[in-house]
Amino acid sequence: MEYVGEHLWAANLGRGLTALAFTMALLSTFAYYAKGEDWKRLGRLAFRLHAISLFGLIGTLFFIMANHYFEFDYVWKHTSLDLPARYLFSAFWEGQEGSFLLWMFWNAVLGCILTFTAKSFEGPVVGVFAAVQAFLVSMILGVYVGELHIGYSPFILVRELQDNIGLPWTQFSDYLTRFPNFADGSGLNPLLQNYWMTIHPPTLFLGFASTLVPFSYAVAGLIRKDYKSWINSALIWSFFSVGILGIGILMGGAWAYEALSFGGFWAWDPVENTSLVPWLTMAAGAHLLLIQKNKGGVIPSALFLLILTFLLVLYSTFLTRSGVLGDSSVHAFVDLGLSGQLLIYLLFFTIGSIALLLYRYKGLPKKVKEDRMDSREFWMFIGALTLLISGLQITLSTSYPVFNKLFGPEGLITLYDQDKVLSDPIEHYNAIQVPFAIIIVLLIGVGQFLSYHRTSTQMFFKRQIATLVLTTALTALSAWALDMWNPMYLLLMWTSYYAIVGNLEFLIRWAKGNWNIAGSTVAHVGFGLIIAGALVSNANKDVISQNKTFIHEEFPANENLLIHQGDTVQMGDYWVSWTGQEEEGYYLNYVLEFFEEQGDELVPTFNLKPRIQLNERMGNVAEPSTKHFVGRDIYTHVTYADLRTIEEKGEEEWKNQFDLELSQGESHFLYGKYQVQLDTMVVEAPARSEGEFDYIVLGAGLQITTMDDSIYKVMPIYAVQGDEANHVDAEIEELGLKFRFERINYETNKPVITASEHAEAEEPFILIKAEVFPWINLLWLGSILMAMGTIIAMVTRIRRS
Amino acid sequence: MKNSQIAIIIAIAVLVGYTLVRLGNSSTYSSFEDAMALNGEKTTVIGYLDLEDSMDFNPKTVQFAFTAKDKKGNSSRVIYNQPKPQDFERSEEITMTGYATDSAFIATDILMKCPSKYNEQNEVDSDKIYK
Repeated sequence: MEYVGEHLWAANLGRGLTALAFTMALLSTFAYYAKGEDWKRLGRLAFRLHAISLFGLIGTLFFIMANHYFEFDYVWKHTSLDLPARYLFSAFWEGQEGSFLLWMFWNAVLGCILTFTAKSFEGPVVGVFAAVQAFLVSMILGVYVGELHIGYSPFILVRELQDNIGLPWTQFSDYLTRFPNFADGSGLNPLLQNYWMTIHPPTLFLGFASTLVPFSYAVAGLIRKDYKSWINSALIWSFFSVGILGIGILMGGAWAYEALSFGGFWAWDPVENTSLVPWLTMAAGAHLLLIQKNKGGVIPSALFLLILTFLLVLYSTFLTRSGVLGDSSVHAFVDLGLSGQLLIYLLFFTIGSIALLLYRYKGLPKKVKEDRMDSREFWMFIGALTLLISGLQITLSTSYPVFNKLFGPEGLITLYDQDKVLSDPIEHYNAIQVPFAIIIVLLIGVGQFLSYHRTSTQMFFKRQIATLVLTTALTALSAWALDMWNPMYLLLMWTSYYAIVGNLEFLIRWAKGNWNIAGSTVAHVGFGLIIAGALVSNANKDVISQNKTFIHEEFPANENLLIHQGDTVQMGDYWVSWTGQEEEGYYLNYVLEFFEEQGDELVPTFNLKPRIQLNERMGNVAEPSTKHFVGRDIYTHVTYADLRTIEEKGEEEWKNQFDLELSQGESHFLYGKYQVQLDTMVVEAPARSEGEFDYIVLGAGLQITTMDDSIYKVMPIYAVQGDEANHVDAEIEELGLKFRFERINYETNKPVITASEHAEAEEPFILIKAEVFPWINLLWLGSILMAMGTIIAMVTRIRRS
Repeated sequence: MKNSQIAIIIAIAVLVGYTLVRLGNSSTYSSFEDAMALNGEKTTVIGYLDLEDSMDFNPKTVQFAFTAKDKKGNSSRVIYNQPKPQDFERSEEITMTGYATDSAFIATDILMKCPSKYNEQNEVDSDKIYK
């Protein structure tokens, strides 16, 4: 059957290019590993053809997404007609298939660069790239071998999906125009409609891709039994990797802080953890390469760390994409059923590279002479080891879901009969990682005062007197200013200040514009600032939206503040007023005006607009709004807002019923805005005979005083005759209030009056949460410095070589 | 012994030590029944929302109450002292961390899983066509 309106050419082109990219990657792998110059040239040609077909396939996918060809499953799932063009990139890598393509794109780019720069190492280095690419392309092949499917193609049509084959609607040749489902796509998750999503993933994936370069050099070195000539190239690339991966991870943190209401920049989520760990091990590996270059003797550990880093990237890929994380992460990918394939990919490179390392281990050059305890290289080695241990701890704790799969109740070998889980992950990681951080920043500081080979004790102390004094003074000052006395935190603060001050001093006194040594120093100052900023802003985070009226102190509920529209309430040092909301495209912006007390007056200082993104299809999402000052940030988000219209709220016209029991002259404060007083009681009870009443009519004279001192008087009536009771309700239309004389409480002899509020009179309100993050700018400043420092270090090394 | 070997041994000892400490930090997924037996100790229950029972959110006290059924089918009232999460009704699975009391399970942390949110399939309804 010929279907009408399908763009089959795009499907064929895309799948054809996928197949070509796959075969070329395979061919390139074999050719590069075959002996001979001709084979090498063939390998190079095949790799470049692979890259070209990959770029073509990415272009095709972009084209069908930009043109909204909704017969394609990927296009339908990730775009919609109203998706602004600037989010096309975000939509492209929202799904697994697209993010695999992004990763492959960078691998291809880096691989092509290496075909020019790797020189004599081109064969084994780019050969590893080609093999990795073959595995990655297989993830989007979308080929069925019997029941088994290999990869999931982004070019699959909706009607070709396994679940849809044979369904009645696929029998219509004009299904695209016949069924409204194909008129528009499902759209991009509103959480991802953000400019961070445009720049964060490409940077992070470039970081992931870059870990492959040092890995390939390490493998190439092992194959050739050459442990010397590639060290410098690998060193430059590993610093590139540390820089880019670091920026990518921090961008993720900035995104979470700026645009997601997770309440901070780091939440120890498995997805965050598994991208941090390769950074830690890569930083360790890069420093070992430095030792190797300057002093030598650490080849086995350096090889191990470079290999481990790439394997951890693969493990991270496996965790976030196989569906294993399921319950424990908020942002793992949707499971595409590729876990088997991902596992093969992981095991192939793990077993292959580790086996190669073990096979060659005996012949590896070892240390001739032991390092002295007063040498720089010894402490750099300890630092690298600490980074590795820190990374392994995070990996172990993040792997709980994997352990559950292996050893849990439904696992391969049942060792425990209930799945295990971390009860408080944030506290768990903070408690364990703080000591590691203390060691790292301490070593960063100490390192600057040590020399390779040996350091004289006298010089060591003499050089850093100023630093020690300044660090201690700064720590004391900060602790006093922030009222922060936790000993562990103080230690971390002292050590991170030590790293910052020590490196700054070195930069000013010794480096003096000497770019050759400035790079690492700037990067280390940056790292110290990141740790200091993270510590100070998190440990002293202050929730200022305290709801003091209603709740028990122990409940975290008092971290949300209720504001009625038009009301002005106190929040920390400010007074805040919610004036209303503005509609802006998909967004409802809640305008919060902040005032400062100056004498007796409230002076407007700034406005914040936390927002809620309205999205019928995927649900509403709250986005924070933050006021940035130099020394602190004020971070707010709307934690609850009633988005229903009057009709949706239901037929209930009167609500918030409240029973008042008053004796004469007594008053009650009602709904937080009215003073209700029982003025008089009127009784009419004509006596029939001998103490019996024909009927009783009771009236309660109420006086209602509003906030602006206007007074209303009403009298609800309660009448009883025989067994029958009647009520005549009293209503104050202007206020939307109603009173019913419900009954007499015979125990207390007081009238029971039920007040209720008209649905429309109930003033709209929102709940907001506001937090102050002090000195979080140190963190961002540190991030920039670390990135700059790494780039300087890299460029100076390229220049020198 | 060489310095580096000593360092590696210390490092491994530290890691093993932490692993042991870590075991104390972990808890198991449990049912509401297990949670009751824990006498107020923190635990994690996976369950789903019981839509037949009421869901009450009082914004003035910021208290959200609902009824959840765990995987064994036992239900319990759950009290969450945080604003009601967006799209709570649409959640398919709820991971609740907290402790059990006589009257209700007090959740301190809630994680929802809404598969439809991210993995919506284009389910074509054959009856729904353009007229």
